[in-house]
Amino acid sequence: MSEQEETPGNGLRRELPEELPAEQPATPVEETAGPAAEPGLTGRQRLVQGLWPPRVTRAQLIVAVLLFGLGFGLAVQVASNSDSDSALRGARQEDLVRILDELDDRTQRLEDEKQGLEKQRDELENSSDQAEEARKQTVEKERQLGILAGTVAAQGPGIEMTIEDTKGTVESDMLLDAIQELRAAGAEAIQVNGVRVVAGTYLSDSDKSVSVDGNKITAPFRFKVIGNPQDLEPALNIPGGVVQTLEKEQATVVVERSDKIVVDALRAAKRPDYARSSSR
Amino acid sequence: MIAVLGLVVGVVAGLLVRPEVPAVVEPYLPIAVVAALDAVFGGLRAMLDGIFDDKVFVVSFLSNVVVAALIVFLGDKLGVGAQLSTGVVVVLGIRIFSNAAAIRRHVFRA
Repeated sequence: MSEQEETPGNGLRRELPEELPAEQPATPVEETAGPAAEPGLTGRQRLVQGLWPPRVTRAQLIVAVLLFGLGFGLAVQVASNSDSDSALRGARQEDLVRILDELDDRTQRLEDEKQGLEKQRDELENSSDQAEEARKQTVEKERQLGILAGTVAAQGPGIEMTIEDTKGTVESDMLLDAIQELRAAGAEAIQVNGVRVVAGTYLSDSDKSVSVDGNKITAPFRFKVIGNPQDLEPALNIPGGVVQTLEKEQATVVVERSDKIVVDALRAAKRPDYARSSSR
Repeated sequence: MIAVLGLVVGVVAGLLVRPEVPAVVEPYLPIAVVAALDAVFGGLRAMLDGIFDDKVFVVSFLSNVVVAALIVFLGDKLGVGAQLSTGVVVVLGIRIFSNAAAIRRHVFRA
């Protein structure tokens, strides 16, 4: 702007000294003629006189040139300011820096927020994964415990022991000894004549027969035992062990190893009345 | 009349041509326009007062523009450009208002 204005300005200034002396006599005639010749004129009359009729005087031309510059600058400035797409164009350097800083801050804040939300999302995903994993482990554990508690059927390698008792000499304590021996040898699931043997199993004598958990069973006693056959069979056959003791009582004992023993006698899960888990 | 025509032609030309404002003069253009407006109002008042002198008008117009641009330039260099341009606009605005009041008294006698 300053250049734009100075260029005509310089030209005028250069012209002025040359023109002034020459036009000096003319100027009073035109310019000062109005107010000087008619001193009684009011401002309004002078305005009307200046506007109409149009007179091409030096003063009018100079003012016209300057006003042209003003109007031009005004229009340009208004136009460039009202360009909505380049609202930042007219902004000053400090303002731009401030706007940039604000944008940076905002970006930073949004970035932080995004990271927080992503972290939260990851945590939620992890926790749902963990919950799924925990559920699987619980199911697996339930199955394992179910074998111990006798609520699910089990199969696997093991032995089958049949105790033939024609004389009726076998008593519950002998069967209990057999069960203890099997447990000590690592038996994992035991059933006797269709009754699952679990932790709370008790055996008692009841006239001429044996009852297991209140279920009467009669000879022959068939034990189905899942465990390592190489451990179970020797445990029964050791000298002075279960088999010898039974045979001393005139019972015949047959122990067979098998790759597939199915223990399918089940027992309902019973909620303990008094005992509560103390682990948490 | 010619002067008013010059103003109108300038506005029309500015709107039609829409020149790219050079980045160097961009911060000074609004201040320069306000300064020129001040000079124009001063000139108008002087005309109504009957003491209008074209030489005085030209010099005041140009010096107003140059000084305003200079102040803003200096303010930018000193780091107080925004405040200084605000101050210039305020001062020029006050002058424009007082001139406008004088013009109003002349034109409407009130």
